[in-house]
Amino acid sequence: MSHWVMEEEESPDVICELENVQGLVDALTAVRWKRQQDALLELSEHGIVLIVEESGCLQAKVYLKRELFIRYDYKARGRPRFGVSLGHFVDCLNAFSVPGQISVIQIQYPGSDMQVLLKSVDSLDASICAEIRTRIPDTIAWDYNFEPAGTNPLTFTVKSAALKEAIEDLEWPGSSIQIILQPDPPSVTLRAEGHGDLQIDFMYYVNSELLVAFQCDHRVSFKYKYKFLKATTSNMPASVIKENRGSKLSIGRGGMLKVQHLVSIAKPCVSHQYVDSVGYQQPGRIAHIEFFVKPEESED
Amino acid sequence: MKFKALVTENGVTLLEKRFLPALEKTGKACHLCLTRDHAMFLHNLLNGDGIQSIAQFRKDALFHDYRISSNNDDRIAFSLDLSLLLRALRSAVAVAASASSSAVPNRLEIKLVKKLPPNSTQSMPFLTLETRGYKSAVIQDIPISKPFSRAHLAELQTALDSAQDLPQTLLQVPDLNQLLNLVDRMKQVGDVVNVFISKHGDLSVQVSTTLISLGAEFRRLVVIGEQTNAPAEDQNLGAHARSTRSISRGDGQSVQVSVKHFAKSLQCHLARPDCAFYGIAPQGSCLTVIFQFFIPGSRQTDKSISLHCRLPVLDSGSG
Repeated sequence: MSHWVMEEEESPDVICELENVQGLVDALTAVRWKRQQDALLELSEHGIVLIVEESGCLQAKVYLKRELFIRYDYKARGRPRFGVSLGHFVDCLNAFSVPGQISVIQIQYPGSDMQVLLKSVDSLDASICAEIRTRIPDTIAWDYNFEPAGTNPLTFTVKSAALKEAIEDLEWPGSSIQIILQPDPPSVTLRAEGHGDLQIDFMYYVNSELLVAFQCDHRVSFKYKYKFLKATTSNMPASVIKENRGSKLSIGRGGMLKVQHLVSIAKPCVSHQYVDSVGYQQPGRIAHIEFFVKPEESED
Repeated sequence: MKFKALVTENGVTLLEKRFLPALEKTGKACHLCLTRDHAMFLHNLLNGDGIQSIAQFRKDALFHDYRISSNNDDRIAFSLDLSLLLRALRSAVAVAASASSSAVPNRLEIKLVKKLPPNSTQSMPFLTLETRGYKSAVIQDIPISKPFSRAHLAELQTALDSAQDLPQTLLQVPDLNQLLNLVDRMKQVGDVVNVFISKHGDLSVQVSTTLISLGAEFRRLVVIGEQTNAPAEDQNLGAHARSTRSISRGDGQSVQVSVKHFAKSLQCHLARPDCAFYGIAPQGSCLTVIFQFFIPGSRQTDKSISLHCRLPVLDSGSG
């Protein structure tokens, strides 16, 4: 019996430990735009990437770099990939997040039956554990190859809270949103036409507190489906807004829109809050989230 | 049939701040059973499928000037809506607070009355709360069911007697709040929770579906009743292996109950018990939770208050 147990405990592909479970829950919730969602996880020596996709038009990636973890033992050959239900994964992780308490969680893959194993490692006498079945990913997630549109990037950075609010306001008029970038005067316009018209302008020189960076050398305009655009901000973690972060939006070749958010996964630590307030933090403690949205039709 | 009493200040606090909010979570509809010495709030004793909860107070824990008489051995029982009682009690407290400047102490009287409701020709039974201040009185009538017949009372008494059998082993659960937090998450995962309890102080709760399993394990808990020492060779095994071995040895048992019922039993922490114990009733008939209350400022059990719940078992499990 003991022999058999020993054999089973062959070293897994990855064992990692994380201190701030809530941060991880926040980051994953940001890409959870509906109840039933399949996610693909890819493990590597650099960390874990979680990918979700919808209708060939919207993709989101959460990058969890190995620096986020207090332990990251990676033993796999190649890059293991597996599918899980994002909802189940988040629900399970949530169980480990105890309000007002720092809890260390251990994540292991694979278990004896190719499951993901989650376990709290704070105390020997009380522990929480979870197992999530994985799937073999049926297709390789469609690659949203983001390439720059020209020699100069088309990009702007806007306060995440302002972006979220603008997109929420655009719900009323209609189903597609036009994003226009123009260099003179440097501005970003979000425009919806439908039951009515609504246009939101971010002027670089007027709203420099909202539009914190802007790069554009020629006018571009693309339309995106509202529901996809909304998915990029609808579950933005409260910490992103509280820490007054910015989101970076770029338009690539063919109008592919990239939206990037930063989510802090640092250990909740009171003495360091002044560091957060000026928007600086150890880069290792940030999870990057990227959304790729395909345009409806190109106008240029 | 008569019932009349004054609710003490302590009684008001116990009911308004602690017990009624907790019991309301178990279910709004409840039976109130009054005897010569006790007042009991009973949930689901007569219908089999819900979580049973039995909260019993000695009369002087809640009342003074307690007067009761009936043809059924001075026992009266009826059903009422707890949320109405709680609302009435809250407003009585508010009235008392606003009148507290007056020199006359406030009196909160509770009694059974029969009244003719407006637009009706038949009188109906009510539980009435009367707050009397210096100049005014506020009367609140809570509609109740017709008081139980002798046969109905006997049925309730039988159910109550059979709900008193204690599990052989009880484990003290350390942190109800933390467990409640976990069980709230479990509700997202599945409907049935597997509860394992061993005589050496292991408690585990687990929800499993085909895709996912989520659980918690507590070890070395305080054991009351029958106990054994954990075999040394089990110490380093995983939770699942340990519980399987324990069940096969016969010093552990597991049952399946509804996650919702389990969460409701944890909601009883609103009554602010000092300890909570979980155990499996003989023959795995139900999962029993016993809450213990101390005399304030001491570690002695307050025998005038008792609260316990019985969770129906969905399947007797592997035990």
